[in-house]
Amino acid sequence: MLEISNLHVAVNGTPILKGIDLTVRAGEVHAVMGPNGSGKSTLAHVIAGREGYEVTAGEIRYLDRNLLELAPEERARAGIFLAFQYPVEIPGVANIQLLKSALNQVRRARGEAELDAMDFLDYVQTRLALVGMKEELLYRSINEGFSGGEKKRNEILQMAVLEPRLAILDETDSGLDIDALKAVADGVNALRSHERAMVLVTHYQRLLNYIRPDRVHVLAAGRMVKSGGPELASELEERGYGWLDTTAEVGEARA
Amino acid sequence: MRIAQEDRAAYVAAGRSAMEAGPSWLKLDRHEALENFFRAGFPAREAEAWKYTSLAALERQQLHSPAPGVEFLPDGLPAGHLLGYGNGYALSRSSALPESMLGRLDAALARTTLPAAARFGTLAGRESMLVALNTALWREGLVLHLPAQWRVDEPIFVVRTIDEDGAMVHERSLIVLEPGAEATVVELCNGRGDYWRNPVTEIFVGAQARLLYVRLVEDGVAATHTGALFARQAQDSRLDVLSLALGGQLTRQDIALDLAGAGASATLHGCFLAGGRAHVDHHTRIEHTAAHTQSREIFRGIAAGRGCGVFDGLIVVRPGAQKADAQQSSRNLLLSPHAEIDAKPQLEIYADDVKCGHGATVGRLDESQVFYLRSRGIGDAQARALLTHAFALEACAAVAPGTLRDWLTQRLDGALDRLVEGGRK
Repeated sequence: MLEISNLHVAVNGTPILKGIDLTVRAGEVHAVMGPNGSGKSTLAHVIAGREGYEVTAGEIRYLDRNLLELAPEERARAGIFLAFQYPVEIPGVANIQLLKSALNQVRRARGEAELDAMDFLDYVQTRLALVGMKEELLYRSINEGFSGGEKKRNEILQMAVLEPRLAILDETDSGLDIDALKAVADGVNALRSHERAMVLVTHYQRLLNYIRPDRVHVLAAGRMVKSGGPELASELEERGYGWLDTTAEVGEARA
Repeated sequence: MRIAQEDRAAYVAAGRSAMEAGPSWLKLDRHEALENFFRAGFPAREAEAWKYTSLAALERQQLHSPAPGVEFLPDGLPAGHLLGYGNGYALSRSSALPESMLGRLDAALARTTLPAAARFGTLAGRESMLVALNTALWREGLVLHLPAQWRVDEPIFVVRTIDEDGAMVHERSLIVLEPGAEATVVELCNGRGDYWRNPVTEIFVGAQARLLYVRLVEDGVAATHTGALFARQAQDSRLDVLSLALGGQLTRQDIALDLAGAGASATLHGCFLAGGRAHVDHHTRIEHTAAHTQSREIFRGIAAGRGCGVFDGLIVVRPGAQKADAQQSSRNLLLSPHAEIDAKPQLEIYADDVKCGHGATVGRLDESQVFYLRSRGIGDAQARALLTHAFALEACAAVAPGTLRDWLTQRLDGALDRLVEGGRK
């Protein structure tokens, strides 16, 4: 589904990613771990299409298309979803307005009919239940005045509504208390399916206590330094990132 | 600069017909006001208050007093009392209120026994030459005078249309709410042609009275609008003013609120759109004269194309206004590289136990918000439009949710769509 090869990315001329290779197949859940500043968020943003990231070499293919040619909205319509580390507040635009516009854009792209107001509400109710969110939050401005946990849940709600093919969760676990973390993990687990791939970008292993990944990769200083099964996450939890040779050859760490 | 002898004819002619009727004190007032205007002339850009706005084109224009015209009633006007003015003449009236409460100002002033008449002119003063010209030349006019405890539930719509090139129309309104009275007034200014509209409105809000006053400017693309609004509030009264400037070539609004009674509170909200080569200038002045007064001022400005916006907001807290609480926010959005907005917030505080704050920003759309929406599948143009609408709509918060707010929102949305569309070309 997603094939990243030899990806080099610079921000303001400074190289951040220095040759990333990553292959994610439908149905798989991958965790990308690494210390702060390793380039994890950059990788997530480049996949979603944020401006300001210069791809200096390499490519990203998604469902056999060149992803880098697509605008962010085209990527979203093609089934890519990024759950933001810092969800943006948008005063004056109601949450439900965003959900409805976004869903109808995605449905149109899939060749499905737009939902009318009633059907849409029914559908959203089922999704709210999935992430344990209060209905009242639908009618508030997007993320405005939301607590940290509410913001992250709101991201998972959007994911649940849009039903992406490939979901990238950027530090979705950061800043959450244990209840919020469980709620977010339950939402994510409910959305796992053999057609959907997920990439969890995270600094800590604790989210992986609730969501078991198929593959774990360690990103350090812009390179994938190690890949392995779920046991790698536990090893990182015990030993930290220090034992890894962050200067390791890229080739050794291929997934 | 004084008005040259040879340029006075149009004003003299307009003044002669305006002065035909009315009590002698008013005639005297009018005569004096016209003389003052001739001596001082139009405000010049040397004056600080006119630094950003030039009336030079207006000064050069051949103007005349028009005959009664027509009124343009907009689509979907909510239910309420309705007064229609065409070229400054009262054309229609649909209201169950007696004429003494809602009617023509000239008729009210002719009956000097009315307490409202004694208030006429006391807020507008003699300093502004545009007000002086209005005083000299207004005709028919509008009065709303509600007795104590009188509540008018449905909004009172005043539709003011001008549809003649070169017309100058000086509209005059007097609104008096006696203690405990309540009303909502929506003045809609629309029209067609390169006319000049110069309205003056005086508002008195009695103790515990409540007024929502909306001025919706949808003037024609070639029109000039110089409006002045003065309000004074008695104790524990509430005044909400909303100025939506959505049309016209040159719009200038001078709005002055005086919180004169203890415990009075006011909101002054505004949203202006300046596209093409339009110029929209709001000068506001909120004076806290009495103790425990509160004001909230929120302005949102959007400029596109080569449009230009000005927000000059002054808050004055007088020595007697202890515990005054004043907050002002002016946020402005530039949609094109050639658009310009000047925001100038000012505080003058002469009391020591007060809470005052202000903030002003001029900028572009927040790209992180744009990206967030795009990452959800919403196209770039749609995302920008959504954010622009949300930004502008903050100004409508003063109007309680309901039919009137929905209608105002619709007018604002429509104007914004045209602005964004025009800016893209």
